[in-house]
Amino acid sequence: MKAAKNLRRTKSIGRGQRTASVIVMLALLSNVLPAFAVGASEGQAASKEKAGKLSDEQRAVHVLNRLSFGPRAGDVERVLKLGVGRYIEEQLNPERIDDRAAEGRLANLSTLGMSNSELLAKFPNPGMLVRQLQRRGELPADLADVAAARRQGNQQQPPPNAPTGEAQSRMSAPGSMPVPDADANRNEYRRAIMRYMRENGMEPPARIMAELQASRILRAAYGERQLQEVMVDFWSNHFNVFAGKGADRWFLTSYDRDVIRPNALGNFRDLLEATAKSPAMLFYLDNFQSVSPDAQTPRRRAGLGELFGAGGTRRNTDPERAARRQRRLTRGDGDDTAMTRPQPPQQRRQRGINENYARELMELHTLGVEGGYTQKDVQEVARAFTGWTIIAPRGARGMEGVAERAGTFVFLPRLHDSNEKTVLGQKIAAGGGMEDAQKVLDILVRHPSTARFVAAKLARRFVSDNPPPALVERVAAAFTKSGGDIKDTLRALFAAPEFDAAEARRAKIKTPFELAVSALRALGAETNGGPALQQWLARMGEGLYQYQAPTGYPDTAEHWVNTGGLLERLNFALALASNRIPGTRVDLARVAGESAAPGRSVDHARVVEQFVALVLHGEMSEKSRAVLLKQLSEPAGAPDASAPTQQESAPTADAMTTRGPRAGGGRFGRGQGRAQQADLAATANPEVARIAALVLGSPEFQRQ
Amino acid sequence: MNNGRRYFLKRGGVALASIGLTGVAPSFLQRAVFAAGDTKHVGGRRKTLIAIFQRGAVDGLNMVVPHGESAYYDLRPTIAIARPRGGVGGESVIDLDGFFGLHPSLLPLKSLWDEKRLAVVHASGSPDNTRSHFDAQDYMESGTPGRKSTPDGWLNRYLQARPDARSTTFRAVAMTQNLPRALQGRAPALAIPNLAEFSIRAGRQAGGVQGGFEDIYEQSASDALRGTGKETFEAVRFLKEVNPAQYRAENRAVYPRGRFGEAMLQIAQLVKAGVGLEVAFTEMGGWDTHSNEGGARGQLSNLLQQFGQGIAALARDLGPARMDDVVILTMSEFGRTARQNGTGGTDHGHANAMFVVGGAARGGRVYGDWPGLRPEQLHEGRDLALTTDFRDVFAEVATKHLGQVNTQAIFPGHASSPAKFRGVLG
Repeated sequence: MKAAKNLRRTKSIGRGQRTASVIVMLALLSNVLPAFAVGASEGQAASKEKAGKLSDEQRAVHVLNRLSFGPRAGDVERVLKLGVGRYIEEQLNPERIDDRAAEGRLANLSTLGMSNSELLAKFPNPGMLVRQLQRRGELPADLADVAAARRQGNQQQPPPNAPTGEAQSRMSAPGSMPVPDADANRNEYRRAIMRYMRENGMEPPARIMAELQASRILRAAYGERQLQEVMVDFWSNHFNVFAGKGADRWFLTSYDRDVIRPNALGNFRDLLEATAKSPAMLFYLDNFQSVSPDAQTPRRRAGLGELFGAGGTRRNTDPERAARRQRRLTRGDGDDTAMTRPQPPQQRRQRGINENYARELMELHTLGVEGGYTQKDVQEVARAFTGWTIIAPRGARGMEGVAERAGTFVFLPRLHDSNEKTVLGQKIAAGGGMEDAQKVLDILVRHPSTARFVAAKLARRFVSDNPPPALVERVAAAFTKSGGDIKDTLRALFAAPEFDAAEARRAKIKTPFELAVSALRALGAETNGGPALQQWLARMGEGLYQYQAPTGYPDTAEHWVNTGGLLERLNFALALASNRIPGTRVDLARVAGESAAPGRSVDHARVVEQFVALVLHGEMSEKSRAVLLKQLSEPAGAPDASAPTQQESAPTADAMTTRGPRAGGGRFGRGQGRAQQADLAATANPEVARIAALVLGSPEFQRQ
Repeated sequence: MNNGRRYFLKRGGVALASIGLTGVAPSFLQRAVFAAGDTKHVGGRRKTLIAIFQRGAVDGLNMVVPHGESAYYDLRPTIAIARPRGGVGGESVIDLDGFFGLHPSLLPLKSLWDEKRLAVVHASGSPDNTRSHFDAQDYMESGTPGRKSTPDGWLNRYLQARPDARSTTFRAVAMTQNLPRALQGRAPALAIPNLAEFSIRAGRQAGGVQGGFEDIYEQSASDALRGTGKETFEAVRFLKEVNPAQYRAENRAVYPRGRFGEAMLQIAQLVKAGVGLEVAFTEMGGWDTHSNEGGARGQLSNLLQQFGQGIAALARDLGPARMDDVVILTMSEFGRTARQNGTGGTDHGHANAMFVVGGAARGGRVYGDWPGLRPEQLHEGRDLALTTDFRDVFAEVATKHLGQVNTQAIFPGHASSPAKFRGVLG
C-alpha cells in the first residue's frame, strides 16, 4: 500500500529540482541513471490565480496578515465591518487605540521599566561583579577562594562571541568531553556568586532578555496596536542589535522602549538619531570606543575620569581569564605614559578610530550597499561620530555620580575629531563638535539612495520578496516628500494597487516569529511569552535579538524555507497543539466546540472544517482537506516503538553553561525551554490536537 | 518535465511496487540505500568535501603568522604573536617553515602539518574590494565576486554540474540552522542543525503524524515549501535508522565544546555512516575582532582554539584511511587590516589565509605568493594584498578532489584553469 502511494506521488511531482533526491533514489532502485530532474516552471502555482481583484473577505484577510501578526477569531469580521481603509488608518495611529489589556499582561515584567543603570546595578554579570568587588576590596573571602579555584581550573572556557542562538537547547555531543575539574570549579563558583547576589538583592542578567523577549511576544500576540508592533519588529531587525555582544543585553530593554518603539511610526530621521545615540547600537557597532587619534589622555578630573574607568568598562565580553591576559598585553601603550599611578587597564589602551558603525550606518541603515559611498566616506563618517559614547557601559558599582548615569549616552568633546570632514561630497566645517554627526545624519536621510533602500525594504516586508520596481519608486517618493515620515510612507505603500493585488496575496512566507505569533492568535492561546516559547523561536531560526550580524535576519523566503527550519515549524505546531510548551496553553475543545465535546465521538469532517475556517480562512484545497480527513479516519496505528526516544534529553551541563543571551532562569524558572516531547496520544483529545497540528504545520499556514 | 524523466519516474515507481516493498518502515529511502548492496559506501568509495566558513572575517595574519616579516611586528605593537620561542611559555608562534607559523592556539593542527596533511594558502581571498561582511560572504558563497544577482551558491553549482545517479538525500548537508548561500540553488541540499534532534516529535503518534504532514505537503501547490517538505521527511526517516544519539568518537578524538565542535562531530558521523555525503558545510562565527582581539591569548585565541581542535578532532576521529577521501577547506570573507586599530583589534581588510586539510592535500607547505607587509606592499596602504583568487582554490578542490568538473559552470565569469591552481592537492 505504501508502495502504491509512492507511485501515485511520483506522478504528481511538479517541481523537480527539490525532489531530485527522490528521483535519484528511485533511480538507484531501478538502475536507471537520470540527470538531475529539470524543474517545472516556478511560476506555475502563482499563475493559477488569475490576476485580479480580491474579494472583500480575501482583502480583509490579506490586510490582517500583513498589517498584523495574523487574524484572531473574529478579526476578519471586524475589519469587514469597519472597512479595510478605516482599519489601516486606525492602525497607522496607534496612540488612539486603547491597548490597556495587552499592557496589563506586561505588568509583572519589572525590568521593562528600568533604566540601563538600574539594570546594570540589579542584574550584574557575575564575573564582572566579582572583579568590581575585588577592585574595591569588597570581595567576601569565601567568594574570593572559589573565584581563584575556578580561574586555575578553567582552561575550557567557550569563547565570548561564539554563536549562541538556540545552542542552549541542544544536546551536548557525546564525543565532546567536559573537563571535570573545570566543571566542578565552575559550578562551585556559580553557586557562590548566586548566593552573594541573592543576599544583596541582585539577580543574574538572564532575566532581562527573557522579559524583553516575552514583552515582544505578548504585545505581538495580544496588542491592539498591531501595525505598531509589526513596525517594531521591522525596525528592530533593520537596526539589528545582537544581545550576545558584550553589554548589549543590558541595553536592549531601553533600546526597545525608548528608541524603536516611540519612533516606529514616527520620522525616520528621529529614529535614526535615536539609534545612533543608543547605548545598544553604540556598543554593538563599537562606536562607543571610536575616538580621535589625537584625543587627549583623560585628565584626572573629578567624575569625568571615571566615566570610562569603572567596572572594566572598555573591555569586550571576554572571560576574565582572557581579559587578564589582555591587560598584560596592552600594558605599555602610548596612553600609559601619562598615567602617574596604576590605572584600570582600559585607560591605557591605545585609542583611535573604529569604522564599524560608520560603515553599517550607510550600508545597512540608510543608503544601502550600492548607495554610492566610498571607503573614504566611511572614514569621514567615523571621524564625525568620534566622541559619541557611553558612560560606564559595564556599570559603575558604588561610584557616586557615575553609577546612576552608567549605560547612558554622552558626547565627549575631547574624544572628538574636530577637523573638517567631507561626507558624500559635502563639507562639514571644522569645530562642529557634536553637530558633525547630526549633519551626517541629515545628509544620509536626505540622500535618494536612503529613500529607495528603506522603501524597497518596506515593500519586501509588506508586499512580496521581489516588489515591483515601480512600487518601490512610488514609496520612495512618499518617503522623500514627507521628509522621512514613516506613516506617510506606509500610507503610500498600503494605497498602492500592488499592495493588495492578487499576486501579493499569500506571497510571503512567514518568519518564525510571525508564524508562532499568528498561531497563538489563530487559536486564541494563553501565553506568558516565556523562555519555552522564546526557545521555539530560536529553534525555528529566529531567536529575538539573537542575530549576530548587523544585517538582521534576511527578509526573503529562501532563508526560511529549508529542511531544518521547516521541521521545527512542524514540531512547533505539534508542541503548541498538544500543550507541550510550558507557559502557553491552547484550549482546542473550545475551538472545536461541540463537535469534539468530551465523551463524544469526534465529528472529523466538522472539526477539520472548523480549523480550516479559523486558522486558514478556508484557504486549503479540497485535496488537502481530504488528506486531513483520511488521516483522521485511519487509526493512530500501533504505538511507534522507537518514538519516546532518548533524543529528548534534558538540557545538559553543557547547555546550561552556554554563553550568550539565554532565555532561561529569572522569574520563568529553569528548564522550561527544552524541546518537550509532544505526545499527542497523551492529550485530552488526540484527534483534535492532531488536526490542529496538521493545519498549523500545513504549507498554507506558512504563508501570509 | 521532459519525457525521459517522466518515463523514468514511472519505471521507478513500478520498480518499487514490483519488488513488493510494503509496510511503513524502513522507508523507501533506506531500502534504496540497502538495495545498493553496500551500506558503508553507497555505490563505493566517495570523496567528501567539508567546507568551513569562518564568518566575521578571521584575522589571517594572526592565524597564520608571517613571523619572518619584521613589518608584521611594527604594524601590531600589542597584538602581534611573538616570534617562535620568543614568547613566554607557549605564547609564541608555532613555526611552520621558518617564515610562517601557526597561532599558538592552533597547536592541534601542528601534527597534521607535520604529516603533510595540512596546507595553507596565504594572501588568498576575493578580488572584490568590498569591506562589507554581508557582501563579501555573499560573494564568497555565490562564487561570483562583485555580482550579487547570482541566484545560487558555488557548492550547489558543483552539485548541479555533476549530477550523480548514486547520490542520496545526504549528498549535500549543511550543519546549520538555515541553508547557507553556498548551498542554495537547484540541486537538493539539507540544512540540519543537529542530527539527533532531527525528527518529528509527537510521541507515540510520531509516525502517523509524519505521514499526515507528508500527505498535506504532497498535496500543496508545487513550490519550494513542498519540495523542502519532501526532503525533510526523507531525511527524518533516514536518520531514525542511523540513530545519531549513539555516536561515539573514535581514536580518542575530543571535539571542542560548542556548536562548531558538535557540527564537526556530526559531519564525521555522517561520513562514517556512509550515507553518501559529498559536500558538508559548517560555520563558526565571532571572528569580527574590532576590539580587544588579543594576541597569543584573548578573544581570537579562544576562537582559534575551538577552530583548530574541531578540525583536528575530526581528522583524528575519521582516521588516516577515511581522511584520504576527505578534504577540509576553510574560508572567511576577507582578511583584516594589517595594522592594529585604536581599540586593540583589527578592522575589515582584504586578503586572508585558508587551510586545506586531508590525505589528498600536499601538506606541509604554505602556498601562494607572499606580497609582503611593508607600507608600499599593502593593498590600499592598509591590508594584506591578494595573490590567490579564492575561486582558484575552490576550483582546484572541486576538480582534483571531487572529480573532473567544468569549473566554468561553477565559477561563471572566472577563467579558472589548472594552470592557475596552486597545487595544494596531489
